[in-house]
Amino acid sequence: MEIKRRNFLKGLAGAGAGVAAAPLISGTALARESKKLQEDHVGMLYDNTRCVGCKSCEVACKRANNLPVELDASGIYDAPRDLSEKTMNIIKMYKDEEGQAYVKRQCMHCVDPSCVSGCPVSALNKEPNGIVTWDPDACCGCRYCQMNCPFNIPKFQYNDFYGRIVKCEMCINTNLPKQGQPACTEACPNDAVIFGKVTSLLDEAKRRIKQSPHIYVNQVYGEKEGGGTSVIYLSKVPFEKLGLPNLPDHSQASVSESIQHSLYQGLIAPIVIYAGLAAIAFKNRSGDKEE
Amino acid sequence: MDHAKPTGGKIITPPILFLSLLFLIGFYFLVIRYIYGIGPVSNLSHHQAWGVWKVLGVLVGAALVNGGYVTAFVVYIMNKGEYHRFVRQAVLFSLLGYSFAGISLAYDTGRYIGLLNFFIPKYMQTNSVLFEVGICITAYIVILGIEILPAFLEKFMPEGKQQNWAGSLHAFLNKILFLTVAFGVLLPTMHQSGLGGLAFLFGQKLSPLWQTPLISLLYVISSIFMGFCVVIALECVTVADFKNKSYVNMLGTMMKMAFYVAILYVILRWIEVIRNGGAGLAAGFSFESGFFWLEWVLLLIGFYLIRNQKTRLSPRNLFLGSCFLLASGLLYRINTYIIGYESVPGLTYFPSLPELMISIGMFSLQIIIFITIIKIFPVITKE
Repeated sequence: MEIKRRNFLKGLAGAGAGVAAAPLISGTALARESKKLQEDHVGMLYDNTRCVGCKSCEVACKRANNLPVELDASGIYDAPRDLSEKTMNIIKMYKDEEGQAYVKRQCMHCVDPSCVSGCPVSALNKEPNGIVTWDPDACCGCRYCQMNCPFNIPKFQYNDFYGRIVKCEMCINTNLPKQGQPACTEACPNDAVIFGKVTSLLDEAKRRIKQSPHIYVNQVYGEKEGGGTSVIYLSKVPFEKLGLPNLPDHSQASVSESIQHSLYQGLIAPIVIYAGLAAIAFKNRSGDKEE
Repeated sequence: MDHAKPTGGKIITPPILFLSLLFLIGFYFLVIRYIYGIGPVSNLSHHQAWGVWKVLGVLVGAALVNGGYVTAFVVYIMNKGEYHRFVRQAVLFSLLGYSFAGISLAYDTGRYIGLLNFFIPKYMQTNSVLFEVGICITAYIVILGIEILPAFLEKFMPEGKQQNWAGSLHAFLNKILFLTVAFGVLLPTMHQSGLGGLAFLFGQKLSPLWQTPLISLLYVISSIFMGFCVVIALECVTVADFKNKSYVNMLGTMMKMAFYVAILYVILRWIEVIRNGGAGLAAGFSFESGFFWLEWVLLLIGFYLIRNQKTRLSPRNLFLGSCFLLASGLLYRINTYIIGYESVPGLTYFPSLPELMISIGMFSLQIIIFITIIKIFPVITKE
């Protein structure tokens, strides 16, 4: 009648061994490195020492991508406060006693994106040119991308009966094929945001820091953060003041997938455990009948 | 081989009518949700994209109905045939719970037709923890259906030797039972770990009090002690055969197993909290740390109630003890996905009334179906 503790723990150990061991070995055997930036990845460099906060990029983005304006309650003021399902690109301002600094926020097009790694139905994809796109035919609207994006970028149309995910796709289907660059970089009157190959943008960013080290924080945000991003930043104030999170140098997706792969690589662990369980249950069959 | 019998009695009773009313209220808001979208009925936002529908409906729901997993393990893997009397009711409860978890996704996801893409090869994304969870839960619903099918077949089997279609199917299912049961243990282990693994990708958005690379393992372990607690609590409510000494002994033994597993969980949890630098946060005074400590208070009350063999044989302590352990485990899940999750500073989320009513309504429907089935079909064993 009494279940022996030893037996119980033994059984538990057997069934749980695969699950238990996998995360521990993930650091070695099946670890997946953060994905690397490719030569043909395109992106943007935003330099807030050059931005004057005119919001031309916001207007251009809305025009190119057919997004509605956001009016306030009185219907007079039309500038959005934050990214939303109506706004994929926004200029915000940080201000303290020493002065002010702008920041442009939109999808960062991570080198190794959490949203792409987490999406169960391949709705989010990293294109060969590094742009992270969304596929309406694939998406099931689970909003896991919203939950796991370190920059809180994907937005969902909550007020639509069958909403879409809205986020910057670097005008991949709109301005980019027509004009050769996204609407925001095309519209910027001061070259505060420029479009190009990420590798050359990184060189340019480093050149600017070297040339005038006194005006820049000595860091190119997005070179390493979260495994790197295709949209990179130069700033005169520390990046966390601009709302850009202080992320580790590896991508979260690389660790998550390492764990996942060590558990399920080739389905070997589940098959072995299944066979073991079935064998035990088969052996126990006669005992069950006596009951 | 089974002595399970229908409990009988009237189908329509005052409690059933009350639950039906709750369901109808939920159903009303569900209709609104499908016409106007998720926004108008819920407090979900860009910053808190998962709320009660996913967290209560799927994460907490999957833990609450985990009895099928642990009873299958005890009876068929540890070979404790005498515990077979607990299997059917636990499996039925699991089947309903998981089916409703699936149904809740149909109103939680914004593009529900896209859910079918889980089963279309070109859309399958095997690196995704969420994909694994979805597939495992779907497969497990099928397995639970096969596990419970004999109870329904027995209703159609004639007395005596004459074998009809139901009888032969019953015999066949019995023959392949070991194959079914092995899935019944493997699949929950997989998806329970996945339910925790989902939170790992939140990275820094989840407080170090809960974030850890071992979160998958912690979810499996917590689901096991919660599974035992569910079986015990459910037995206390539906069967309550306390005059039968061997019955009480078995409940006590399961409680003891839950106790040991919970201790393992406590140790591992604290190692991870300290290793991830959560100790300072826990010591500080904040909204998160308050909920963090609430988990431990609930667990300690539970531990106190079931502290020794004597208390583990008292029906009152069995019931309350299992409820407190369950509450702690459920709060762990809510904390991981709601309280400890902060995508922007100062984020607060509390479900709206319609949002809650949809969850409560669907839960009521689940209980109505459960009670009705045990009245008509041989699920519960009572001597």
